[in-house]
Amino acid sequence: MTHLEIEHLASDYLEGQLDAAARAQMEKHLDACEECRGLMGSLREALDLCHTAEALEPPPWMVPNILRATIGESRPAFSERLQAFLRPVFQLRVAYTVAMAVFSISILINASGLNVRKLRLSDLNPGTWFYRANQAGHLLAARAERFYYDLRVVYEIESRLSQLRPSNARKPASEPARPAGGASDKGVARDSQMAWIGTSKIDRLAASARKP
Amino acid sequence: MEQDHELVKQCLTGDNLAWENLLHLHSRKIYNLCYRFTGRREDADDLTQEVFIKIFQTLKSFDPAQGSFSTWLNRVARNHLVDHYRRTKKDRVTSSLEETSVRIEEKPARGEHPIERLEHRERHEALQAALEHLSPELREAVILRDLQDLDYAEIAQVLSVPQGTVKSRINRGRLELARLIKRMDE
Repeated sequence: MTHLEIEHLASDYLEGQLDAAARAQMEKHLDACEECRGLMGSLREALDLCHTAEALEPPPWMVPNILRATIGESRPAFSERLQAFLRPVFQLRVAYTVAMAVFSISILINASGLNVRKLRLSDLNPGTWFYRANQAGHLLAARAERFYYDLRVVYEIESRLSQLRPSNARKPASEPARPAGGASDKGVARDSQMAWIGTSKIDRLAASARKP
Repeated sequence: MEQDHELVKQCLTGDNLAWENLLHLHSRKIYNLCYRFTGRREDADDLTQEVFIKIFQTLKSFDPAQGSFSTWLNRVARNHLVDHYRRTKKDRVTSSLEETSVRIEEKPARGEHPIERLEHRERHEALQAALEHLSPELREAVILRDLQDLDYAEIAQVLSVPQGTVKSRINRGRLELARLIKRMDE
């Protein structure tokens, strides 16, 4: 078998279409001829490359372009149009937006003092909303101010109490123990009584300041 | 095959959905045929569109008795590609193998090493470059047989030549392709 004959039968050999005699002759030649062996090796490699080549994906606009050029713009059905219209609504971010809007509106309604169950004609006037919101704002500010001043009074009273209490408590501890009876005993009793009276007065003041 | 015939019948009655289904079934194959023949994705896109517009216009002339829809489609596509090749022959600049640069965008296989992926890509670029250097007769025969997986009888129908000629062209095309790829490797 010659080199040329090997070339002619190369595809048949690789595809297994040769009869046994031709195949044996070819293999005998290939065993002896390095050049033909190399050629068959390259051919096998080329075929492997072809068979492993991946198919490319056409661009996404290709089929729509062909459809436009052949049957024109396809008109979607009503259900498809409805589905396309509603598609953006069924998203989580839309649900968040709606929830925030409802929350904000409820705050505004509360702030403007609207009673949704008993709506009057005047309630629909934006001027009324503004007036009520303004009123509610001022009321809130006044309450906050009062609360602040109350806190200041309580703080001041408590700080004075704390100044007085240690001085009363320290007196008996710092003074030496005196014998029972006599003028000095009377003086101590008077001091402690005064301290008790003073304390009770201040406590009463503090209690009255705490009352709303 | 039966499905194709049914869809063609429905298309002829004016069923647009059947035409759309037929397009989805065959557009990828024709796109790849055009790409392998021209080596350019832009050309493949344009040529595929032109082929299907032609198919739409001449759908009435399809005769199932003469062969399958797929064979008819391949024949129309092949004739269009040959026309395009002749039309653009003057515009084409003959380039050497070294100057040929082909870009093939392929999805990387899972678990494939980057170096292996690169080698794989280079091999397939070499294949495409080698295909472009084959004569149109040999190129179309090799593409239809080894890349589109058609049998000899179908290729003979598509090319309108005897099976013996098809076998001879495929064998010569493969040998030429193997030599070109080997030359590129050296």
